[in-house]
Amino acid sequence: MKKYLQLLKLSFDLYTTYRFNFVLWRVRQFAFFASLIFFWQAMYSNTTNVLGYNQSQMLTYVVGLAFLRSIILATRTSDIASEIKEGTLSRFLLKPIGFYQYWASLDTIDKIFNLGFSLIEITVIVALFNFSFYIPHEPMTFLYFGIIVILATVLHFFMSIILSFFAFWTEDIWAARWLFGIIFLEFFSGAFFPIDMLPVTVQNIIYATPFPYLLFFPAKIWLEQLSVTQIIQSIVICGLWTVAFAYMANYIWAKGSKNYGAYGG
Amino acid sequence: MSAIQVKNLQKYYQVYKKEPGLKGSFKAIFNRRYENVKAVDDISFSIEAGELIGFIGPNGAGKTTTLKTLSGLLHPTTGSVQVLGFKPFERRDEFKKSIALVMGQKNSLWWDLPPMETFLLNKEIYDVSDNDFKKVSDELIELLDVQAILHIQTKKLSLGQRMKCELIASLIHQPQVLFLDEPTIGLDVVMQKVMRDFIQEYNKRYKATIILTSHYMEDVKQLAKRVVVIDHGKLLFDGQLSEIVKKFADYKVLTVDFNDTVDEKKIKALGTLVSLQDRKAVISVSKEKIAHATEKLFKNFSVEDLTVEEPDIEDIIRQLFARKKV
Repeated sequence: MKKYLQLLKLSFDLYTTYRFNFVLWRVRQFAFFASLIFFWQAMYSNTTNVLGYNQSQMLTYVVGLAFLRSIILATRTSDIASEIKEGTLSRFLLKPIGFYQYWASLDTIDKIFNLGFSLIEITVIVALFNFSFYIPHEPMTFLYFGIIVILATVLHFFMSIILSFFAFWTEDIWAARWLFGIIFLEFFSGAFFPIDMLPVTVQNIIYATPFPYLLFFPAKIWLEQLSVTQIIQSIVICGLWTVAFAYMANYIWAKGSKNYGAYGG
Repeated sequence: MSAIQVKNLQKYYQVYKKEPGLKGSFKAIFNRRYENVKAVDDISFSIEAGELIGFIGPNGAGKTTTLKTLSGLLHPTTGSVQVLGFKPFERRDEFKKSIALVMGQKNSLWWDLPPMETFLLNKEIYDVSDNDFKKVSDELIELLDVQAILHIQTKKLSLGQRMKCELIASLIHQPQVLFLDEPTIGLDVVMQKVMRDFIQEYNKRYKATIILTSHYMEDVKQLAKRVVVIDHGKLLFDGQLSEIVKKFADYKVLTVDFNDTVDEKKIKALGTLVSLQDRKAVISVSKEKIAHATEKLFKNFSVEDLTVEEPDIEDIIRQLFARKKV
């Protein structure tokens, strides 16, 4: 366990080494939050209801989503692909350290930073724009929300790792990552807009994929727009997807690492 | 029991050949010609615990591939590999804790942080106790004289300084088996000597089994009694360094100082003329003709001084590789 704590400390050191970079990164996040608010405030200037969402719910959805992204989607595992390609993956393979644990440690520090700063930024934005951020009424909601966020985080961790593992076979996974990142992840997970704004048939197709469990369902749980049955259902399905992807990652790792070329040198 | 055993090891890579240019790139999308490259082709050898051997061969001979297979990075295509009783590719933690692979042109230190941070991380990764860490790191830091640079960002260190720290980082857990892949590459002669002395000292002090590859014959000459020579993935020689000379050198080198200037043609009749400067000639003569040649020399020339020597190991190895390539 101590080795992973030491890793956390090192990643922390890295963040603080490059202060300027760090500040720019936060400014970018802040600008992103702010532009989302401007956009939706403009949308609601003439109406109080857009496809079943009132202004407070919609703003909570988009701001909350930006926040969820920073916890669930923030990951360093996309680096694994270049590690494989360039042969630098070797240095982990040589050491008595768990592969998943290593990357999970790096991700954890990323997420802690993101979480802390996003909370501050959201508070500032909510105060600045003076809108009502939706806070759940039911105490149980916080529990459900916590569970699904953890599951979704692990799910995305394995999804992203599997995508990186393709580098064992193909020279470049840039196109695959783009397709996955933009089309599926952003669109199907509800990162751009709530999925239930779409026609029912499209919704049903999307619900059959793992993507909405990453962002859309956690957001819906927070907004208390799901019944308890629906909540339990979404948590169970999210859990099943997570297990499935973890198995898949292990399988692909076993195959892929035999194919690993340890290039260079 | 031997520390390392390699039996009929083969490692093939699949590569595809691309013609140069844009046309070639388009062709490669639709029609790819794959080829098997035999990086290591049926090699067997074994190494006793505590032995330090030199592993030599030209670029692309398969040295690094062999080391990567021995350290568990690569899966052997066929054949078997055992290190300290482990199968490297199973990548067990106990195995990883007893080996280290150091590559001269690779960096394993955290680039943006001082070397000490990497040492501390490795201490935790390898479960080294505080006492052991202090003892070993103090010892290594002193041996390599890096006290002053431990807290400077790795990327700001010179190549030599970085290599020293690289070695320390790899040795914090006191590996019993050490694979050194060109640890002296790119270093100046002074640093090369420091590294060499250090490797020798480590081998003695920790009774470590070491395989060393290097392009500098000096490294191998000073450090290894036994050498394994490979080329094009095949084993050419395995034995004492001095045996190479006996086995592959079928000639000796005559260095002659003459009293007068001499006719080049006449000397060429004795053997292969390597160089002729003023009154000094270096001639290589096949072993069976050496008596005859010296006799002729004294008969036909006025000789001031003559030495007969075995050829340089470096020359023999160069000829060995050159011969294989034809």
